Amino acid sequence: MTAPMPEVELATSTVAEPAGERPGRATWRAFLRQPLGVISLGVLAVLALVSVAAPLLAPYPRGYGSDVLSPPSSAHLFGTDSLGRDVFGEVVWGTQQSVLVAVAASAIAILFGTLVAVIGAYVPRADALVSIVVDLTLSLPVLPLMILVAALAGPSTTTIILVVAAFSWPEVTRLVRSQALTVVGLPYVDAARLMTRNHLHIVARHVVPAVVPVIVVSVVVTASRAVLSAAGLAFLGLGDPTTWSWGRILFEAQQSGAMVSSWWLTLFPSLAILALVLSATLISISYNDARNPRNRDR
Amino acid sequence: MPALSFALRRVLRGIVTIWFAVTVTFLLLRLLPGDPALAVASTNMTEETRQALLVQYGLDQPLPVQYVLYLGQLLQGNLGVSFTQSVPVVDVLLARLPWTLLLTFAALAITIVVGVPLGVLAASRRGGALDRAVQIVGVTAQSLFVPSVGIVLLLVFGLGLRLLPIGGAYEDGVYGFAWYGSVLQHLILPAVSLALIQLGAFALTMRATLIDALGDDYVTLAKANGLPYRRILWKHALRNALLPATTLIGLQLGFVVGGAVLTETVFAYPGIGRGIYEAVTQLDFPVLQGAFLLLAVTVVLANMLTDLVYGLLDPRVKTA
Repeated sequence: MTAPMPEVELATSTVAEPAGERPGRATWRAFLRQPLGVISLGVLAVLALVSVAAPLLAPYPRGYGSDVLSPPSSAHLFGTDSLGRDVFGEVVWGTQQSVLVAVAASAIAILFGTLVAVIGAYVPRADALVSIVVDLTLSLPVLPLMILVAALAGPSTTTIILVVAAFSWPEVTRLVRSQALTVVGLPYVDAARLMTRNHLHIVARHVVPAVVPVIVVSVVVTASRAVLSAAGLAFLGLGDPTTWSWGRILFEAQQSGAMVSSWWLTLFPSLAILALVLSATLISISYNDARNPRNRDR
Repeated sequence: MPALSFALRRVLRGIVTIWFAVTVTFLLLRLLPGDPALAVASTNMTEETRQALLVQYGLDQPLPVQYVLYLGQLLQGNLGVSFTQSVPVVDVLLARLPWTLLLTFAALAITIVVGVPLGVLAASRRGGALDRAVQIVGVTAQSLFVPSVGIVLLLVFGLGLRLLPIGGAYEDGVYGFAWYGSVLQHLILPAVSLALIQLGAFALTMRATLIDALGDDYVTLAKANGLPYRRILWKHALRNALLPATTLIGLQLGFVVGGAVLTETVFAYPGIGRGIYEAVTQLDFPVLQGAFLLLAVTVVLANMLTDLVYGLLDPRVKTA
């Protein structure tokens, strides 16, 4: 959440694709030719697998262990924390929570953000309001606001998902709206207006498909932001105290004062956050490159 | 007077933004499930105190009346009382604000001082090894989690090499020149952590806008006139590419402040962010509310000032 979304360079090619092949397939083939994008996709797949298979990989870390703050060894791959719990297990189960938050928060933000953006672009009278609300929200310090709300609502995974989603949609709206506005002005939308009075049909059939590429980029970027925001909230002590998350491992390390003496407590959750966010960012960049026909046949 | 009307419009927008922040806070506090008295007083108070507080803050009135009362209180600078410290929230926060400002501005200064040359070098050697390196570093920096960066720097430079202090903002018991020296020493690690996460986005934007500018007609003309490339790059193209990068800094200010909250927590830096962390552990809602409002006002004011100054320097801003 601390970095802005990478600006999406939108080729107007969403409308004019070379005939003969479906644009989605050409993009996919171009994407597969980018090593970084493919590796990142692999990393995300592994993280998703870990989050699903967490019960098979490690027992849920609870209670107290006998080895307190022991460095990584064959018994404890990532070492143990100040209560003797296995850090590997904490990171594995934390993956589950982070992936859940990322998927759920970004899904809500994307649905709501796209809806608002498309309404704004299609209904000129609503657009002024939409753009004002988006601009105002984006110019406020969002993390302190999230902290206030999360503290009031009480810490739980649901709270975190809702809070992160509630303050992520304006960014989605900003990205999707600018693309939707250009699409709505195109002649084929005017032509569609002549053929039907069913606005819902025009939006669903002609406007939304044209903004799908922006939505794909938003999904990836919003999800990675959601991970950072959720980790930030958990690091401040606003995470769910009953569920392991990467932010909670760091929070407990800081609270117990073991953060400075035991490097493994911070290294492994930090690497996990970096792996997830970095691969998501690289995927969005590779996807943008792949989608741009000018980059394709080189 | 286009300059005056530009300034007026910009100030008006600032006021509207602050009003928006206040209204959102009000609605959140009243509409979220939970006792509204929590926003002004402690959880473990007696029923009489609670009733007295509800009346004192007008929380027994209907919502619109409450809203007017709330605005009135804020206009008088009343943010409630911190119930862990029993002092007005405004006093608690204003004592902390300078540290947050110092940290944020130091981080932004580092970002600009390092980011501009990085962007220029990458753009001028487009496709080269240096350009690739800047892009890789830029993307990675964007994906970093601030506390992780802070902890790594703290472990390496604070505990490992023992070069810099590991927390706090100054050394106790030193005065005069030595005190300023200790402030600077304590500032380095938090400011660098905070700058690192801004740097990527800034350098990448700098690079992209500069590449655009280098393709403009006036650059071709300058080349045709035989001006040295370095001069075209640093004097002509860079000046025109600075505007979008500056706008980005303005847009990012809200994020930087969020990052400052986390950084201060890692380094026990006595700014508003560390105050937020302490308020969270004690569930001190008046402080949390006040901290958000104060940070929002600060960000809006800073944005407004940069826009106004830039509007005077660059005529393109006014027409935009």
